[in-house]
Amino acid sequence: MPKLIKNGEIIDNSYTWIQDADQAVNSTSIVPAQKWLAEQETIGKVAGIWLAAGDGTECLHDIDLSQFDVIGIHFPAFVDGRGFSYARLLRERLNFKGEVRALGEFIPDQLGYLLRVGFNGFQFNEEVDLEKALALHKPFSISYQGDVSEPRPIFLRRQA
Amino acid sequence: MYQYDAIDQQLVEERVAQFRDQTRRYLNEELSEQEFLPLRLQNGLYVQRYAPMLRVAIPYGMLSSEQLRKLADISCRYDKSYGHFSTRQNLQLNWPKLEDVPDILAELAEVQMHAVQTSGNCIRNTTTDQYAGVISDEVVDPRPYCELIRQWSTFHPEFAFLPRKFKIAVNATESADRAATQVHDIGLHIKKNDAGEIGFKVIVGGGLGRTPMVGVTISEFIPREDLLTYLDAIIRVYNQHGRRDNKYKARIKILVKALGIEEFRSRVDAEWAHLRGKESTVPMTEFERLQNFFTAPAYETLQNNPENLTSKLASSAGFARWYERNTFEHKTAGYRIVTLTLKKAGQAPGDATADQMIKAADLADQYSFGELRVSHEQNLVLADVQQDKLVELWEASKEAGFATPTLGLLTDMICCPGGDFCALANAKSIPIAAQIQDTFNDLDYLYDLGNIDLNISGCMNACGHHHVGNIGILGVDKKGEEFYQISIGGASGHDASIGKILGPSFAQEDISTIIQRLMNVYVENRSEEERFIDTYRRVGITPFKEAAYAKAN
Repeated sequence: MPKLIKNGEIIDNSYTWIQDADQAVNSTSIVPAQKWLAEQETIGKVAGIWLAAGDGTECLHDIDLSQFDVIGIHFPAFVDGRGFSYARLLRERLNFKGEVRALGEFIPDQLGYLLRVGFNGFQFNEEVDLEKALALHKPFSISYQGDVSEPRPIFLRRQA
Repeated sequence: MYQYDAIDQQLVEERVAQFRDQTRRYLNEELSEQEFLPLRLQNGLYVQRYAPMLRVAIPYGMLSSEQLRKLADISCRYDKSYGHFSTRQNLQLNWPKLEDVPDILAELAEVQMHAVQTSGNCIRNTTTDQYAGVISDEVVDPRPYCELIRQWSTFHPEFAFLPRKFKIAVNATESADRAATQVHDIGLHIKKNDAGEIGFKVIVGGGLGRTPMVGVTISEFIPREDLLTYLDAIIRVYNQHGRRDNKYKARIKILVKALGIEEFRSRVDAEWAHLRGKESTVPMTEFERLQNFFTAPAYETLQNNPENLTSKLASSAGFARWYERNTFEHKTAGYRIVTLTLKKAGQAPGDATADQMIKAADLADQYSFGELRVSHEQNLVLADVQQDKLVELWEASKEAGFATPTLGLLTDMICCPGGDFCALANAKSIPIAAQIQDTFNDLDYLYDLGNIDLNISGCMNACGHHHVGNIGILGVDKKGEEFYQISIGGASGHDASIGKILGPSFAQEDISTIIQRLMNVYVENRSEEERFIDTYRRVGITPFKEAAYAKAN
């Protein structure tokens, strides 16, 4: 079974990332958000949905996200940083508590930033050595800005 | 100036370790060229025409003598014993070896320096007025706010992969805008509201490059405690909606223009409504902490115009000239701001040799409390010089090649490294600067012409800010040959404007002749006390155009 990094560990990936809108879905599928939104009355139970770059998070404002175990965010190229804002908005604005999973072309050297904006699942391309990627998890032990896990910026922590 | 505590120091050291590992993996082919590219750029490392180029950050232009000596030392041991000060107050080393860069960064970290985010599609070094904190008419010293922005922008997790680079500049005085804030992605003007509270007028969407634009005001007043949440809101809108399909249309200016400022503002406000008042709101204690790093040095109680100054001004025309052009009024009696110009004929604008860097550091220790600033016009500044030491300093500056008394004049050019170094350039810039230096070498004539900004870029990326030069020169490639397009009427201050192109481009050898013709039109048309830019604005482009393209007969 393919592996992924979740919450700092290498585990089996039990979900299927559905990229083709015509593919059959079931309760282990992560389906395109646009497909789910269009078919939500009939699609049945899924593991989660995924946002394409360009989808934004506003389309999810009226949806009960707690029904999803996972929300994926796709990186069409690792330099396309829209997903960093999407993850943060999912966590901080839409209060999503499940897994936020990075999908697509992101690279291990981005893990530090990805974790800080709220991702906790990383489904890398197959050629990535996950053991080596794990070693890049935390390039910095401190940070100036607030983030999803520590909302207080440095100026609220320096004096503490 | 700002001093690192254990937290700041740890962060730069961890960055060195991170980059050392990335470089190792790149050299081992564990990281591809394509993956390493943005990682090294975010550490200021380009791969240039002949060698890598490392751009070292000089946050808002503040530099201690110790740091400058370290830069000189690094340039000797890892490079060719010189550096290039850029328009964004940074220092570029043109010949380091890629495998040495981690060691260079480790040495920089020893003196609280780094190359973080000096390139790449992220928030770059924040720049400001080189006279910050020492002029009488500024609202408040902008440097504590620049440091606040520096920390907020450093390793910002959400904004490391923006559509394109993002530059912020801060200005704090009505009388001038020495940081060209209106041609930055965000320009901040510190002001006080009617209640006397400090805040910022925020300008967005300025920029140079292929589509030069002067920024537009998005907010007349953002209270200072809300600055970071407001910046987060602007950049979050940009990060999600800025174009990513074409790098030449990816800057925030294109998004602001496409949406219109009203729509852009309403999106930012909608985003800000969620962020305002949250954790990133800056407490007064933090402003106080930062202000404490920028207190006045131990000034002596002195009078203006000491006798040794006034008598030298009367007896030496050369000194008087230097005093008039290269020094500036200080807010404290008995002191003066001195610019050490890096525009000597025969030296590329903004270049300083290692010996010059060491000399400048010595002068800073001797005359200006051990601190220097780098200016947007690519000069060095000693901000706190006693007026009774000016004669001494002038003598010492002359020896070191820092006293060319042409600050603000035609030959005080802004110039990018151009085709001599840069892989992006279409044409060389330094030989053009040299040609103009050689042609316009009569100081009396230059003084008569008065203030003129002449800016040179070797390509459309506009690192030499040609669009906002009163005269702008742009290198273009025509079937493999280098030609130069000339524009006039640009300005980068509070009256910022984008220059207009005269017409077809000129051959390299004709540039000085054309500039001379433009000067002749100015001299014939000017009214008394009128600057070049004012004459241009009054008479328009036509007479300049006619003169430039007149057939010799």
